[in-house]
Amino acid sequence: MTTPAPTDAELLAYLDEALPADAMAQVERMLRSDSATLARLAEVNARRDAGVHSLSEIWRRNHLSCPTREQWGSFLLGGLPAAEAEFYRIHLQTAGCRRCQANLADLERQQSRQSAATTSRRQRYFQSSAGRLPSSG
Amino acid sequence: MPPIAESDRLLVERVRTGAPEAWQELIARYEGRLLAFVESRLGNPAAAEDVVQETLLGFLTSLPNYDERRPLESYLFSIAAHKLTDHLRREGRRPALPLSVSDSSGGWQPVAGGRRASSLIQSGERHALEEAALVAALAEQIDRLRARGQWQQLSCLELLLVRGWSNQQVAAALGQSEQTVANTKSEFLQRLRSLVRRGQPDPDVFPELYAS
Repeated sequence: MTTPAPTDAELLAYLDEALPADAMAQVERMLRSDSATLARLAEVNARRDAGVHSLSEIWRRNHLSCPTREQWGSFLLGGLPAAEAEFYRIHLQTAGCRRCQANLADLERQQSRQSAATTSRRQRYFQSSAGRLPSSG
Repeated sequence: MPPIAESDRLLVERVRTGAPEAWQELIARYEGRLLAFVESRLGNPAAAEDVVQETLLGFLTSLPNYDERRPLESYLFSIAAHKLTDHLRREGRRPALPLSVSDSSGGWQPVAGGRRASSLIQSGERHALEEAALVAALAEQIDRLRARGQWQQLSCLELLLVRGWSNQQVAAALGQSEQTVANTKSEFLQRLRSLVRRGQPDPDVFPELYAS
């Protein structure tokens, strides 16, 4: 079975690192093996640079239909009506919203208790970056 | 669109004054979701942590230019996406994009009126105004669907307009008839056109709204 060619909307999402991880990898494979896909990617990029708006890009970049983090919390607790919860599942798995996937994965990790590794990682981030904070006063 | 959280605004204000505890709090609030975002793509926890570290440093470096009207989470994710792209390019995983579209590849031209692409290059200000008009119209429509509990229609529109799938693909994915999908799309675009038309947009810059 051949892999379907990515849509223009998916190519734009690829440029913004916004497709789900498996779809990103799939587009990368096609770009390496298929010059026509690479030419299409350059074309959608040129169109964007020329100022043409894309509904997909505007919708995605502004997260117009993304549930909030609090709503994802309710989803995890099973506190949503069935039809709404089904929308969340499709948003995550079929529409493949990468940022919501990350938020949900993080919430799930938090639910399974904050580990010592998390605390030490946060300390490391802080120590390696605090020197760049604006000077106080 | 998610509202700009007051708690984020206050947190950034404190980070701007150089308060270490505010910076620590911002890291604690956001690093987990950023790490999950990067890790899903790299599959290598150590490399993912490095990219998140670069993201946080990038945030501090760009802090003087950060516009607080922009949601903090979106801003951090966009920095993470750039850092991730850089990392993948260095690793040779992400192919370089050609600098120009050659004529032989069917180079893009605007769909309406035969205007040349060069005439479409607009000022950033005009482009932002046009986008704001479209965001407002889309948000109004999406809120209306949510308020009416029309979740299936919203799923259908996400797949059609955000993923760019065909009616046939969407119908198969959602177990709906192609006619239902076509009706949902047509009704949505019709309402959107009428909302956006108030701002008299140029068909050349909104081709999807005017495609037959």
